[in-house]
Amino acid sequence: MGFRVGSDWRAPIAELERLYAGYPQPEDGIPDFTVRLFAARPWRRWLRPAVTLGGDFVLPDAAPLPLAQGLLAAEMAMNLQMALGQRRYLLLHASAVERDGCAVLMTGLSGAGKSTLAALLGARGWRLMGDEFALVDPATGLVHAFPRLVSLKNAAIDVVRAALPEARFGPLLAGTPKGDIRHLVPDAEAVARMAEPAQPALILFPRFGFDAAERGLGPSEVFVRLTQASTNYVALGERGFEAMTRLVREVPARAIDYPDADSAIAQVETLWSAL
Amino acid sequence: MAERLYRAVPADALRIVPLDDFTLIFHRPSGLSHLVTAPAPEILELLEQGPLTRAALLARLGERFELADASVEALDARLGELVATGLVEAA
Amino acid sequence: MTDQSSDQPGEERGGTTRRRALMLGAVGASAVVSIRPALAQTQASVINCEIPVPDAGRAGSYIAADGSIVPAGTPGAFPPASLAFKGEDVKTALAGGQLPGTTYEQNQAYVKYIRRLQSGTSGFTCFASLQMPRG
Repeated sequence: MGFRVGSDWRAPIAELERLYAGYPQPEDGIPDFTVRLFAARPWRRWLRPAVTLGGDFVLPDAAPLPLAQGLLAAEMAMNLQMALGQRRYLLLHASAVERDGCAVLMTGLSGAGKSTLAALLGARGWRLMGDEFALVDPATGLVHAFPRLVSLKNAAIDVVRAALPEARFGPLLAGTPKGDIRHLVPDAEAVARMAEPAQPALILFPRFGFDAAERGLGPSEVFVRLTQASTNYVALGERGFEAMTRLVREVPARAIDYPDADSAIAQVETLWSAL
Repeated sequence: MAERLYRAVPADALRIVPLDDFTLIFHRPSGLSHLVTAPAPEILELLEQGPLTRAALLARLGERFELADASVEALDARLGELVATGLVEAA
Repeated sequence: MTDQSSDQPGEERGGTTRRRALMLGAVGASAVVSIRPALAQTQASVINCEIPVPDAGRAGSYIAADGSIVPAGTPGAFPPASLAFKGEDVKTALAGGQLPGTTYEQNQAYVKYIRRLQSGTSGFTCFASLQMPRG
């Protein structure tokens, strides 16, 4: 999946180039989506510079972000292209990690911990497939990787930095609409193996900030929650229906509540070995 | 006043997948997906055998099942939902 | 008329066939849940999206008390909002609050304008995302 990023400012492009160095070029050099970071009015390039998001697909009313958060703007814009434009794969707003050819998908509201858990599992022998989108191929049922910069927020930043002392991180973006944000660069293995799909084996709905608990979910509940977590389910029509139906019938699902990262990791490992 | 007839939509208009307490239905003409629960799948199954008036449908449901809350109003509500989503046709 | 016993496998008890219990459900209840298009980004959109009043394509036009667009200077109509309104503020106004920086009458007119937004006008996507139930 390739993106072409045009920008009225050099800085966000420089940051993207630095953090995505080591990623392969798009196939045939042809990007799948275009992202534009532009100044809505000419003076907005210099006077309290504000980045407006543009591209093949737009939410026309998105408020601009300050230039200091240009990297965040670029990441959001790329997410938006995927969210609105993806038609080949069923998109799930979920993180995914892989081990032995099988994948755990973690989905939930913002703040549930899907990015943080994916990053931490990546530090414990799992391959990071992605933290924002899991791509399900309707034809095969396999999940495909989309390992972009992992977006970590507030307290999670230090937790992950402690767990991954060797990892590369983007700059600290303080005071964004979602608090402090720092991006983790996926490790070399995640990048090298990004073309390898995996068999979904476990669907998790994590919830941070509660005593450890776990419950199974019936397929119809999983169906509703996953369609709510998909930006292109309806657009895919019957292909989407078949892909989602197959997923909920074939893959076990659990909701887990956890008070801290260590507890969550332990729960994931326990559920995984019980499969 | 002649009673309305309710009938099933053509078989190829729906892709039906029973799951648990809910049945998934993909409605091909609209491209929308619905989850339906009792008594909707039972109503759809009865109508597949041929069109029925509301009264006849209520009677058939009563024969086939132990209906705890049989009422024309309740059946009206169920049929209204099914017609609104295109899962049942009203003549 | 079909024989009911053939439809209920596993219901036989002691040689007799018991009919399965079925509830028609309350009139106000629902047996059909329809999957609506959801934009997983909607949560962020509500925080970040904006609605200009009026639409950028008709910048300079005034808003009448009933929310319709009228030529600039029309008596009794309100001038355009100086800044686009944020999604959060519009959400509050739609629930009965007041848009920031407006008088009571101005707020009424602007809110009526926003309620009439049609697909294709800028501001519609923001408005639509405010209306969509968040799963």
